[in-house]
Amino acid sequence: MLGGVASGLAGHLGLSVRAMRIAFVLTSFMGGAGLLLYVWLWAFVPSDRGVPSPGIPARPPDGPYPSGRAAGLPGAQVPGRTALRARREGRRSMAADVMFGVGLLCLGLYLLAARAGWSVNPGLVIPLAVVGLGVVVAFSQLDEVERARWVERASVGTQAAVLRLAGGVVLVVVGVLLIVVQGSADLGQLGRTLLASVAVLGGAGLVLAPWGVRLWRDLDAERAARVREAERADIAAHLHDSVLQTLTLIQRRSTDAAEVARLARAQERDLRSWLYGAPPSNVATLSAAVAEAAADAEDLYGAVVEVVTVGDRQLDERGGALVAALREALANAARHAGGTISLYVEAGPDGVEAFVRDRGPGFDIAAVPTDRSGLRESVIARMERHGGSARVVSAPGEGTEVKLFLPDAKPDAKSENKSENKSENKSENKSGTRQATEPDAGPRTEPDVDADAEVA
Amino acid sequence: MTKIVLVDDHRMFRTGVRAELAAGDAPIDVVGEAGDVEEAIAVVEATRPDVVVLDVHLPGGTTRPGGREVLQRCGHLLTADPPVRFLALSVSDAAEDVIAVIRAGARGYVTKSISGPDLARAIGRVAEGDAVFSPRLAGFVLDAFGAGAGEVATVEDELDRLSQREREVMRLIARGYAYKEVAKELFISVKTVETHVSAVLRKLQLSNRYELTRWAADRRLL
Repeated sequence: MLGGVASGLAGHLGLSVRAMRIAFVLTSFMGGAGLLLYVWLWAFVPSDRGVPSPGIPARPPDGPYPSGRAAGLPGAQVPGRTALRARREGRRSMAADVMFGVGLLCLGLYLLAARAGWSVNPGLVIPLAVVGLGVVVAFSQLDEVERARWVERASVGTQAAVLRLAGGVVLVVVGVLLIVVQGSADLGQLGRTLLASVAVLGGAGLVLAPWGVRLWRDLDAERAARVREAERADIAAHLHDSVLQTLTLIQRRSTDAAEVARLARAQERDLRSWLYGAPPSNVATLSAAVAEAAADAEDLYGAVVEVVTVGDRQLDERGGALVAALREALANAARHAGGTISLYVEAGPDGVEAFVRDRGPGFDIAAVPTDRSGLRESVIARMERHGGSARVVSAPGEGTEVKLFLPDAKPDAKSENKSENKSENKSENKSGTRQATEPDAGPRTEPDVDADAEVA
Repeated sequence: MTKIVLVDDHRMFRTGVRAELAAGDAPIDVVGEAGDVEEAIAVVEATRPDVVVLDVHLPGGTTRPGGREVLQRCGHLLTADPPVRFLALSVSDAAEDVIAVIRAGARGYVTKSISGPDLARAIGRVAEGDAVFSPRLAGFVLDAFGAGAGEVATVEDELDRLSQREREVMRLIARGYAYKEVAKELFISVKTVETHVSAVLRKLQLSNRYELTRWAADRRLL
């Protein structure tokens, strides 16, 4: 009801909340045992909620008055609790609520004590009440965070918390002063007392300041060390999962040169992207898909693919088709040529161009057209289906280059490309015409340009 | 005989490069080695090589990357007679490393995966004052100058754009073509290819193009 202890305990023991509450109230009459138990449970049983119960600030009446409660004064408790109960489900209780409850509680205590025939000195009770209120106000913020983190400085992080702490301190000081000067209305003595208290507090502050600062610094240093340690652990974990594993694998398979090269290359790629790469994004882009295709070709065929991408765009279905064609071209290059494969993809304003070039033996396209039926089907036909085009340029001793072009989707793009490809199909050897139409801007260094052959 | 100095903080790597260069028949003479920024500057000053093969990430010095600091503190040698030329050789192909050393005056940038004969050719090219572009560097240039999106200079000497021909050359290099193959493909001479590549290098070093400067400013390189 107040700290949520009854409901918490009820949930834990499987009893009804009402029964727990009645039990607490009843046992409270037995020398206040129930009350003490309640307070004890409240303070030390961790809450299962991140947000503190709105009723928690109601604790104040309990804290500073354990003896009063222990005397078993139900009349005094009930008004305070009732006042708070009304706000149990409400917003954060304001200082006014607390003060109202405490006031009622004090009044009840005072009346009961007076009836019991005890002579209660109001001059003592009121200052005590003020001190108690101060303590309550200052400590109530601890509930805002976790009680388990009482010493964590995060508890004084917010402005409201600072305000409450200051208010609490002021109240405590005022209460202590009232106790000290009680009975005498001497203003001069009050002034001296105030001065003395300030002097004592200031002195204590000065004495304790270095210790406080050191504690603060230690906390800071410890936290920085923790952060560093976490970073180091991160790096160590990554190196362990990647580099160490690969090195172990390489040692185990040291006789298989191709496999060792493949492992080393895959690890290099991985480490490189970890060190220099952009943080992984969830957005599927063309360049990411291209890099993945190249990585797979390296892993599958032990090739080395040098990837250069210029520009980028979102990966759509047609882009996916281009990447699929690229994969096939890379696989072909890796299988038939080996060595370093150059992959260049440029996402320009009109479309995407891609080039896969190898340094293999090359081949005469006219002589062995059936050998590359896979290329013809999965690269050329695929590109044409999506309104693009593909060309293969190769000559013995010259390596092979596959050129892909995928124009951006336009209403007339498809038909245009089809006709273009048809015309290319007719002229098996196109380099001759190209050579004729392009101006020779300088002396040629190689005499065998004519050996270039192109098919579509 | 081309005199070179090897600067790399890994002794094993220097030994490897030395062995690979010695195995080839290229006329290259390694006259010095250095492992950090201060040592590199001292060795280069003392030996005055034709080409310094420079690692981008070096220990020592006060700024990062260390390779750029070597270039900056050897700035007077870049224009001396005969000049000392720098070829950056790095395991990193991160764009910020590339631009840092190129803008500081390096004549080329190749990654450590380059083969021995290719490295020897690159050194020879740099020694003659030409530029060495790897496919990745060419790709970066195309990207940074907007050439991939079809932007080309209308005036021959526009610093913030590539000319149509330069773009074609860069595209072929990005596709993995050697200079000789580029020349053949475009029906121009290797010398003309070299001229275009050098022009692109100059633009890369001098251009204030928005993408370049913004990109460099983001990494506080300028």
